[in-house]
Amino acid sequence: MLVPQNSYTNLSSAAGLGLIGFNERDIVVDYGCMCFDSFVYTSRLSKKIVGIIPSYEKLNTLQKRLVEEDVKNCDLVNANYNEQHFKEVFDCVIINSFLEQLLIEVKNNKSIFFDNKISPKKKDNSLEKIRIGFFKTIYKGLRPGGKLYLSYANKFRIRILLLFVKLAIESFFTAFSLKKAQNFISLVKAIYLFLYYLLSQKGFEELLKTNGFVDIEKYAVFPDHKFPLKIIPLSKLDECSFEPVLYTSREGRLRRIFAGVKRRLERLIFKKFRFFNLSPSFIITARKAS
Amino acid sequence: MLCELITNNTHNNNIALYKCYNANKVFYRKTAFSQWGNKVIENEKKGYEWFYKDSKTLNEIRLKKKYFYELEIPQFKGKKLPSESVISGNEETIGRIIDFYKDRWSTNDIFAIHGDMALCNFVIDEKNIKLVDWEHFHYSGKEYFGYDIINMLFILIYHESKRTFSLSKKNMDFLKKCYVQLIEGVDSSNKMLEKPFQNAKNYLLNFTNRFLVNTNIYKKFVLSSSPLSVLEHFDSIVTR
Repeated sequence: MLVPQNSYTNLSSAAGLGLIGFNERDIVVDYGCMCFDSFVYTSRLSKKIVGIIPSYEKLNTLQKRLVEEDVKNCDLVNANYNEQHFKEVFDCVIINSFLEQLLIEVKNNKSIFFDNKISPKKKDNSLEKIRIGFFKTIYKGLRPGGKLYLSYANKFRIRILLLFVKLAIESFFTAFSLKKAQNFISLVKAIYLFLYYLLSQKGFEELLKTNGFVDIEKYAVFPDHKFPLKIIPLSKLDECSFEPVLYTSREGRLRRIFAGVKRRLERLIFKKFRFFNLSPSFIITARKAS
Repeated sequence: MLCELITNNTHNNNIALYKCYNANKVFYRKTAFSQWGNKVIENEKKGYEWFYKDSKTLNEIRLKKKYFYELEIPQFKGKKLPSESVISGNEETIGRIIDFYKDRWSTNDIFAIHGDMALCNFVIDEKNIKLVDWEHFHYSGKEYFGYDIINMLFILIYHESKRTFSLSKKNMDFLKKCYVQLIEGVDSSNKMLEKPFQNAKNYLLNFTNRFLVNTNIYKKFVLSSSPLSVLEHFDSIVTR
């Protein structure tokens, strides 16, 4: 027999979590439970994992998987992210596909994520901040020194930016105010801040800092944060060598040609020009200040 | 500690390889993501134990048996060659490796096979040669002496011919030289070196289970998927 058969569950898609490392005493919370493999993997290495899932259908599917895998050290909660559910504090927070989740939730109810979207006055020469309610909830639930793991697809930065800009413009036109000119300046500022926080890596880092996180590390992920094959820490670019990920599909001539072109293009963008801001996905790890 | 994911689930091995930066220390960490991965990592540790049995290096290679196993391997100093290395330009290194193999493999009481010996798995400096990636390690009979080198030569031929579409006369002469270097002083009971490439393929297919491969063996080893005519051709080049 040349192809071995086995009944093991391969959780390799959770390889991103290897960046943070779990302790067997850790209590972890997974917001959204977007990757079931990550959830199962974490349950194997930590004391307990709590999953918060707004979608009831998804919760049922995950429950079935957990029974199959015989995972017992977990709790699943059907709730929204902004609710503070637990008295206990967590050692680690996992948010897979962060921007995808944000996009869905903002479409449903933008108030979930924003409070004081733009502060009216500048304080101590600091930039005006956008605060995300979701981050505040996470911050409150983490113990000091607790870890945050966040992954997202790059393309969603543009989508979510467009959505925010649309919402800001809508609110400008619907708001009843005699001071339209002042509102217009606020609108321009809002769009500028969305651009800054969502499109630049520095801005995104600042967003996390504003929400109380330190030791922020950013990683470029290839080809996808849902099944990473290569992860490069952006602070160690000089020591890392980039070789494009080998896509194993050998079937079909067109597919092979496409994979070849993609590989050459990636080599050019990331190896030669080192434009890692264009990476397909990102992972961010951070720690709550002690 | 900062980590870089170098590879993940290569050939469905259920293992991720990280390069870890901890203060001034750099090391590699292999992490399993299934029970199969645990088995492979444990096997790899056995390979290191066999290879570094009288060396201090073994103390630096640590197996952590959590639910999913982890193996820490130090960063060896020296030159590392890319996975698509070819014969041309690497003749001296290949010659050194064959000498090294003859020395280490013939003096070890218990014979073993690395299973995936390729230029990219060596770390070489002026004095030392280190060998990594022992996932396919297994014990075997001494009559299979030479398997790893033949496999390595075939990988080199594969990449050389992918680049140039054929082997030059210089390459062929070099292969012959490598073969002569390898068989010198080898016991007559050897089952590998009469028809080296064909016999190596037979070994691979007959003892597939020993290699702990979790994918179709034809996808993992180029030697296993090569037609008989090609192997006969290279056998005739080296044994003529």
